[in-house]
Amino acid sequence: MKIVNKVLFLLVLSMLAMNAAWSASEHAYEKNQFGKVNIELHNKASLQRGAKYFVNYCLSCHPAQHSRYKRVADDLGIREELMVDNLIFTGQKYGELMTVAMKREDAQEWFLGVDPPDLSTHVRAIGPQAVYEFLKTFYVDGHRPFGVNNLYLPNTAMPHVLEGLQGLNRAEFHVEADKDGIDHKEFDKFEMAKEGSLSEEEYEQVVTDIVNFLAYLSEPAQLIRKSIGVKVLFFLALLGILAFFLKRNYWQDIH
Amino acid sequence: MSEQSTGLLGWIDARFPLSKMMREHLSEYYAPKNFNFWYFFGSLALLVLVIQILTGIFLTMHYKPDAALAFASVEHIMRDVNWGWLIRYMHSTGASFFFIVVYLHMFRGLMYGSFKNPRELIWLFGMLIYVALMAEAFMGYLLPWGNMSYWGAQVIINLFNTIPFVGEAISEWIRGDFVISDATLNRFFALHVIAVPLALLGLIVGHILALHEVGSNNPDGVEIKKTKGADGIPLDGIPFHPYYTVKDILGSVVFLAIFAFVIFFMPEMNGYFLEHANFDPANALNTPDHIAPIWYFTPFYTVLRAIPDPFLGFMMMAMAIVVLFLLPWIDRNPIKSIRYRSSLFKINLIIFVITFVILGYLGLKPVTDMASQLALRFTEIYFLFFFVLWAYSKPRSGGFWIGSFFVLLAGITLYDKFMNSSETPELIWYTWVIPAAYLFIALLLPQFTNWDAEKQVPERVTS
Repeated sequence: MKIVNKVLFLLVLSMLAMNAAWSASEHAYEKNQFGKVNIELHNKASLQRGAKYFVNYCLSCHPAQHSRYKRVADDLGIREELMVDNLIFTGQKYGELMTVAMKREDAQEWFLGVDPPDLSTHVRAIGPQAVYEFLKTFYVDGHRPFGVNNLYLPNTAMPHVLEGLQGLNRAEFHVEADKDGIDHKEFDKFEMAKEGSLSEEEYEQVVTDIVNFLAYLSEPAQLIRKSIGVKVLFFLALLGILAFFLKRNYWQDIH
Repeated sequence: MSEQSTGLLGWIDARFPLSKMMREHLSEYYAPKNFNFWYFFGSLALLVLVIQILTGIFLTMHYKPDAALAFASVEHIMRDVNWGWLIRYMHSTGASFFFIVVYLHMFRGLMYGSFKNPRELIWLFGMLIYVALMAEAFMGYLLPWGNMSYWGAQVIINLFNTIPFVGEAISEWIRGDFVISDATLNRFFALHVIAVPLALLGLIVGHILALHEVGSNNPDGVEIKKTKGADGIPLDGIPFHPYYTVKDILGSVVFLAIFAFVIFFMPEMNGYFLEHANFDPANALNTPDHIAPIWYFTPFYTVLRAIPDPFLGFMMMAMAIVVLFLLPWIDRNPIKSIRYRSSLFKINLIIFVITFVILGYLGLKPVTDMASQLALRFTEIYFLFFFVLWAYSKPRSGGFWIGSFFVLLAGITLYDKFMNSSETPELIWYTWVIPAAYLFIALLLPQFTNWDAEKQVPERVTS
């Protein structure tokens, strides 16, 4: 049934093509307008810097409650004393989970009823690119309780915690009607309203480091998974050669 | 042949039919010598079953079936348990591969008529295994207690609400609560790890015993037991062991390589094997943007969504599975293998495969006007396929073909007139062409071509 096999193959190909065409961006800005994050899990220095920023800027509100300090230290090559002295602020032990001290009720009150999501799993749900765009698209908005809004996540409850580093952007929009005649706010550009302590390139590096660390944190097994996979496939290839000759030898008298 | 065994084996054989069973099911079970690629999937299904049971045992050692702990216990397995991530990925990838293998195994049966006399009972056992497998997968999917677990189960259990009078009571009975809760999780755990697997094992034993009673079919659809040598052994048969055991080892290694590639390099399979929304914990207040069942359920989910009336849709979905049970009594053509059946049969089967894949694809996507019209059209073809299969069972008169073409087309058109609605009414008439073209090809072409010509089935297997 060669023809059946060919039809099946073409079907799978066309499904993949259709799938790519179907997914489109729903944001008020163009896809990848703010660049694509480059995840480099082998870049230990970047992961270590990301861990530092994470515990300093994120972990006071966002838990990473499925991850342990020790595991992070082991995976990232951070010595125990360094980790305990410089990266654990909650008085927790080295082997404990990275939870936050903030009470859930307090969080709900401070952040408009929103619980800051757990960052050890949520990043895997939304993908690293989402965090990257989120951290890069804060802008001034006097109507919001913390004075800032976000392009990726409009009306976010989160303050711009990296404001001191990035500074503050002002956003320019224009109004555009879609084909059904409904007006939409379309983003034009950002303009720096208040300088931060870092240059644009330096801030880019900070965001990349954080996202890189979060990508690692969402699945620590990634660091070893692929290299083990290569060995497993190599083993199976050898076994496959043996199995092939075994089969051929047994079957030589079957016609 | 029945030489007396001695030593330990002799001691056992005097008390338990060990050697006898080995002979009956392996070394003296004669399988046709012409099995092709499609005959790997039975033994591969058994391999996946073993993988699922073994990894499942290790997962239950660390998993906690408690709504407050379940999600964290899965993350604990992924991070803190030695090799836990590998065991979990093997299990989650294994679930999808189980269905890939089973769908290919069932397709093989369709192609070579393996469900036909005398193998009807093998097919029925197989269909029960398939249904049990769907229940097993559905209940297993709730256990990680992610947000998609929660909302997926919500959607599926609520299907029972559509049954008149008793629906609400049934879904409450399934959940053990008014909403999906700890009680639901706990009972799904019990059913997933012991009740359904036990049933599955029993059904698989039945499936294989029934197979070994009548013997395997083959790509030629020839009964090898009809031509036996002087020793009573089928001339075209070879002992399952060692010939097919060594062949299946090769098949298993190739399969495992593909399996390992997915596990180690793309365990989420782009959100199709592990859905992204499931990495957020179950949250009754936060519905995922788009709830889609996992891919192996989506063809039936599309059938459900294609019919606007909820109970009717539910019934059609159930019928889509029930009709598969009836296959041995639908396709009554004495020729088993696709090799000797008509070109129209081949076209019909290819259209069915395309239909099944499109239905599956539509089930993954949000409902749009176009998508729901397409869903209806391919649902129509799904069911018409079985009518056509029945019609191809024997030669029929020109009146039959023309008559059934117009009756079925009128039925579809009347449904469109009174039951089908769309925001853009033209869509109804554009897509009407799809089932109309199908009926034209399947029912009218035999009138104008010789594509309904069947070939002579040989006495012996051909290769």
